[in-house]
Amino acid sequence: MTKPLLIALHEVRIYLRDKGDLAFSLLLPVITFALLYGAFGGQDTFHGTAYVVNEDAGGAYSELLVERLDTQDSLDVVLLSAGEADAKLERADLLLVFYIPYGFSDELAAGDQAELVTRQRGNGGDEGQIVASIVRSIVDNLAQEFHVRALVAEAVAGEGINAEHIATTADYFIAQQREDPSVSVRQETFGGASDPLEMFLPSILTMYVLFNVTLTARAIVEERRKGTLERLMTTQLEVGQLFFGKFLAFCARGMVQTLILMLLAYAVFQMFTLASFFQSLAIVALFLAAVSGLGLIIASVARTEDQATWIAIVFTMIMVILGGTFFELPESGVLATLSHISVNTYVNDALKAVINEGLSLAGVSMQLAVLAGVAVVALPLGRLLFKALPGGR
Amino acid sequence: MAQPFLMAKNLRKSFDGRKAVDRVSFSISKGEIFGLLGPNGAGKTTIIRVLSTVLEPDRGNVIIGGHSVRRNPDAVRRLIGVCPQELALYEELSAIDNLVFFGRMVGLSGSEAKAQAVARLKLVGLRGRARGRVDKFSGGMKRRVNLAVSLMGHPKLLFLDEPTVGIDPQSRNNIYETIEGLRRKGMTILYTTHYMEEASRICDRVAIIDNGRIIALDTPLALRSRLGPPESVTLEDVFLKLTGRSLRD
Repeated sequence: MTKPLLIALHEVRIYLRDKGDLAFSLLLPVITFALLYGAFGGQDTFHGTAYVVNEDAGGAYSELLVERLDTQDSLDVVLLSAGEADAKLERADLLLVFYIPYGFSDELAAGDQAELVTRQRGNGGDEGQIVASIVRSIVDNLAQEFHVRALVAEAVAGEGINAEHIATTADYFIAQQREDPSVSVRQETFGGASDPLEMFLPSILTMYVLFNVTLTARAIVEERRKGTLERLMTTQLEVGQLFFGKFLAFCARGMVQTLILMLLAYAVFQMFTLASFFQSLAIVALFLAAVSGLGLIIASVARTEDQATWIAIVFTMIMVILGGTFFELPESGVLATLSHISVNTYVNDALKAVINEGLSLAGVSMQLAVLAGVAVVALPLGRLLFKALPGGR
Repeated sequence: MAQPFLMAKNLRKSFDGRKAVDRVSFSISKGEIFGLLGPNGAGKTTIIRVLSTVLEPDRGNVIIGGHSVRRNPDAVRRLIGVCPQELALYEELSAIDNLVFFGRMVGLSGSEAKAQAVARLKLVGLRGRARGRVDKFSGGMKRRVNLAVSLMGHPKLLFLDEPTVGIDPQSRNNIYETIEGLRRKGMTILYTTHYMEEASRICDRVAIIDNGRIIALDTPLALRSRLGPPESVTLEDVFLKLTGRSLRD
């Protein structure tokens, strides 16, 4: 058992000595993550901008409306002057602007009907329509609150209750209703995660691990090119020990990269619970073992580094395509049948089940069994092929 | 005559129908330095690869220290050290890391490997550069590290495949001195070279090999005597007489 560990440590030492290689392999997960963040970060729900012209500036109710709009998570509020807004609409820089007309607050204070005006180009654009509907719902809420206050005041009029007390009590109940509404909306998602990041992170994790096939596939050929393979074969090192040592080294290297990616996903996107984090790590570790084993099969067969690289690339492509890595596979048909030969299918299914659906490792035991089986078979198979092919032992 | 430490009998090895080694038989006594001389492609390296258990012979057998390379290659590997013709080092690592790693692979403990590595580097004049990365070394320094690696684990039989090729006279001299030191300690060595003067200086006996077959085997003096008075004949004269003057691929 000592010699495989020595081989693994030796590989790690070489990896650490090559500063360029080291920096590249550690930075790459961070860069990938930054790209992910740029693509999906913070866009799990709609976020738009409401352009507002407040011609009733200083009015109590117009300011209240702007404040309400501004407290919405899904909205940014940009205040414009009427001139600016008109010019931008004219140039089609903006498609939809809300105008709070002069006298808005006074009309409401007098119990009259007040009006919020929207000016838009065409249909106001997709974002404009969504923003308009959000603004409308806020205005409706505000109108209802005024209505409730007016009705309460009317109902208790003449009963000698202090007007301020009526207003305070009405506001208290309105605020309570806002906090804890009688009717709410619960979201249930079917057919995959609603968050694109949740859909893609498992795939990116598996892709990353899969890239290690190329490195593993070159492991033996590089030793052969350096002449060190032949030298090692004249020592007391068994070829099986050499293979197992390489296997351990590539698993360790892949785990470091995976850990970086997952820690960033955990810290920035809060994509994992503590349990699902460690469960996902265990799944990826098994996948790494399977992939390193398959990489060593390629390493046994390849005679040159170019051969090893190209075989690994073709292998990676097939696994990715058949594994439903970036698209949902159909539930039946040829592609669905073929997908069973891809290790990616099993790891993607397992990760999505654990991360997105909250299943435990027991819930993905079939997938884990397949990955473990591939690892257990691939390592000795690579060793046997090395023995059987010319130049091996 | 001392008991042979290595006995090769009727060795044959072919690649794609071409005979690389053809009915080669010889023996090496304990403590002897035995030279294999031959033009390019004569089969020297193939013989070393067979003797060092890297290749299995098609026919014939080799007994080293009482163990058959066919039946008990693991036991043979415990007795041998190999310095290959091409540098076989991890150039990203330091000289001492290379030696310690190969030391561990031949079965030394961590502390033994470190102690031996330091001693071997001192032997080849690289004690002061032990921590230097091998890829920063000159060709001669790399050759010396290559030789030092082959000495890890106190091998009883050392295969040196053209250890001085392409290096400066100082490094070559250091390697000669190292080999002389090993001879004094009684190490058995099989040495291949292109340099006839080197073979005359170092080897107790030499075998001249061509087209995979041994065509002459004797002491350098006896071989020179075949062409005339040994003081007026060089080993190169003998070599050219036996192998011809036509160019080889």
